[in-house]
Amino acid sequence: MDLSDLLQVEAVLPHLKANSKKQALQEMAAKAAAITDRPEREIFDTLLQREKLGSTGVGHGVAIPHGKLVALDRLVGVFARLDRAVDFDALDDEPVDLMFLLLAPENAGADHLKALARIARVLREPAIASKLRAANDAAAIYALLTQPIASNAA
Amino acid sequence: MEQIASANLFLALGALLVLGGILSSLLASRFGTPLLLVFLIIGMLAGEDGIGGIAFDNYQATYLIGSCALAIILFDGGLRTRLSTVQDALAPSIVLASFGVAITAGVVGVFCSYMFGLNWVEGLLLGAIVASTDAAAVFFLLKTGGLQLKPRIGAMLEIESGSNDPVAVFFTLVLTELALANGGMPGWQVAESLLRQAVLGGGMGLAVGMLLVFLLNRLNLLSGLHPLFVIAAAIALFGFTALLDGSGFLAVYVAGLVVGNRQVRAFPSIVNFHDTATWLCQIVMFLVLGLLVTPSTLMEYLVPGLVVAVFLILVGRPIAIYLCLRLFGFTFKEMLFTSWVGLRGAVSIFLAAIPTLAGVNGAELYFNVAFFVVMISLVVQGWTIAPAARLLGMALKRPAAATSRVEIDLPGQSSKELVGYPIANDSFVALRPSALPTWLKPVLVVREGEVKNAAEITGGLRVGDYAYFLVPTERVHRLDRVFAPLPPDAANAAKRLVFGEFPIAADAMIDELGAFYDLSVPPDIAGLSVADAFAARFGAKVRPGVRLDLGGFASITARDVADGVVTRARLRFDEVVDVGSLRNTAAIEATTRPARAARSLRRLIGRDI
Repeated sequence: MDLSDLLQVEAVLPHLKANSKKQALQEMAAKAAAITDRPEREIFDTLLQREKLGSTGVGHGVAIPHGKLVALDRLVGVFARLDRAVDFDALDDEPVDLMFLLLAPENAGADHLKALARIARVLREPAIASKLRAANDAAAIYALLTQPIASNAA
Repeated sequence: MEQIASANLFLALGALLVLGGILSSLLASRFGTPLLLVFLIIGMLAGEDGIGGIAFDNYQATYLIGSCALAIILFDGGLRTRLSTVQDALAPSIVLASFGVAITAGVVGVFCSYMFGLNWVEGLLLGAIVASTDAAAVFFLLKTGGLQLKPRIGAMLEIESGSNDPVAVFFTLVLTELALANGGMPGWQVAESLLRQAVLGGGMGLAVGMLLVFLLNRLNLLSGLHPLFVIAAAIALFGFTALLDGSGFLAVYVAGLVVGNRQVRAFPSIVNFHDTATWLCQIVMFLVLGLLVTPSTLMEYLVPGLVVAVFLILVGRPIAIYLCLRLFGFTFKEMLFTSWVGLRGAVSIFLAAIPTLAGVNGAELYFNVAFFVVMISLVVQGWTIAPAARLLGMALKRPAAATSRVEIDLPGQSSKELVGYPIANDSFVALRPSALPTWLKPVLVVREGEVKNAAEITGGLRVGDYAYFLVPTERVHRLDRVFAPLPPDAANAAKRLVFGEFPIAADAMIDELGAFYDLSVPPDIAGLSVADAFAARFGAKVRPGVRLDLGGFASITARDVADGVVTRARLRFDEVVDVGSLRNTAAIEATTRPARAARSLRRLIGRDI
């Protein structure tokens, strides 16, 4: 699976301004609503419901909020780079400034997990993360996220 | 001149026998024959009825050689027992070693009294002689069979066999005295003697063990002398304790325990030396016992020997095991296996020589019956230990592979050791260098024939390097699995493992997680919160690192535990392979198989480091 399958360049927010985890999620839900044509409220609630089970902050300043939407027909991603990192209750307690939101259709099953693992793999790569933080605009970020990475680089 | 010639002949023949024993190990390992039995048979072949024709019936010399060999073997057994790793096996093994022996001796003794029309003292004497499991045989068969038992069972069997010999020796000595006195010894005297043997043996062992540790760390002996010093001290301890009517065997075992569990200078060389010494003792002891027996006389006792052996294996030991172990919550299968590993060995034959030496009437019976019991036990049980362990699910499925570790003792201190390992292809260290424990740092590396120090190694260790690490002594034995090549499926999983870990709240409901990720939740934890699920599965044993599997490729690992309750956990997707669509069954196969491999990899590596 390639991230270009689920991410469009329009879905990249290079300078998201948010003061809290909740606000960041809200902004991203709005973007996702525009792309999927689903109500923003529904998306936001789905994400919050997942955060209740445990934070999606996976460490190193990265969070991967995700959830399932009944009426979706494909996997949809939204990426945001925050101007100022927000507290996310992450695995390592570091504040988060790189967020990849993933929405999956009901019954996506293993595809959902594969996409999550793929996103985690890309974002946990220290070299990619630092380039993402330095990138100028949405197009540059999109290129970094969707470039083929050397497999098993770790 | 004649005496010199006979001394030379004695040396030549004796060494030839030992050589024969050593070479026969090749044969034995090929056919899986219990090696100890082979030594015994070589001794018999060399004896008066065999091709060697050596007439040997010196019970005095046998007792001398046997005691010395047994003292060294028991000391070695103590030396290798790490109390920290056997804590949960300690209580049951001590009960087995004391009450277990008494019960076995009692049951078999009563049976023998009826069977052979002996009086009860004589019957019990026979029971006591065959009551103890043999440390040499058990250690040896468990170590060389390529078998790794579940830790608790393995430790229990080893401690039992190491510490029940003193008990059996004691019973045998007391009953021999009683048999000589024709029952004229009052009960309180027996009890007093028992107490004296145990207290003196344990006390002397403890004291001398501490003294040995102190002296080893304080005296600047020449490097080759450390092991010799230890072994001489052990034999002296044995002799003096026995002279004072204490149990010499218990004393050396306890002293070995003390030395083995303290930090001691030159420990690697001491253990290596004991390896060799123990081998020599086994060979010599079995050869001498084989020489001592007269096969033509032995055959007269075929039927009684068989009957006692069968009764002991099928009734006597199982009863003792059941009575002792049911208090400790062992499963039926575990008890069954424990009673099957009731190997008898040289100790029983050695004990059987005592009545003869003491001049008990009809002593021939004890010796020959005991000999049969040992032979049958070695053949039947010795040969079937490995299959029995697998059948009853007692063997670890994936024993730690062998590595070539080099240990270097650092003069002058004992808390750290220098160990060297080759960096092997497909070993954990080569596949996942970033997951190594933080205390494991190379101090120097031999790379392409050049010695490099830690600062000169760029880009970490490589396959083909030979790396030396400074390691806390107590952690050395845990390192082998990091450097051993992994089995192919585990190696593949290590190469492909994908990270994907999310923090999970302790009060999150397992069912919700399952529904969210389409995971199948095991029925026993359905409807519970994460914290409760851990409590249900692990009870009081919950600690950071324990894991709940959810369906094929996800698991929850406990992260923080406070007062026995999981407060934070993480959800992990083991291995999610890009296989296109899951709708096709081949793809499902491909997704779950590496997941299984990944789990076994973690079992192999994960929590012990």
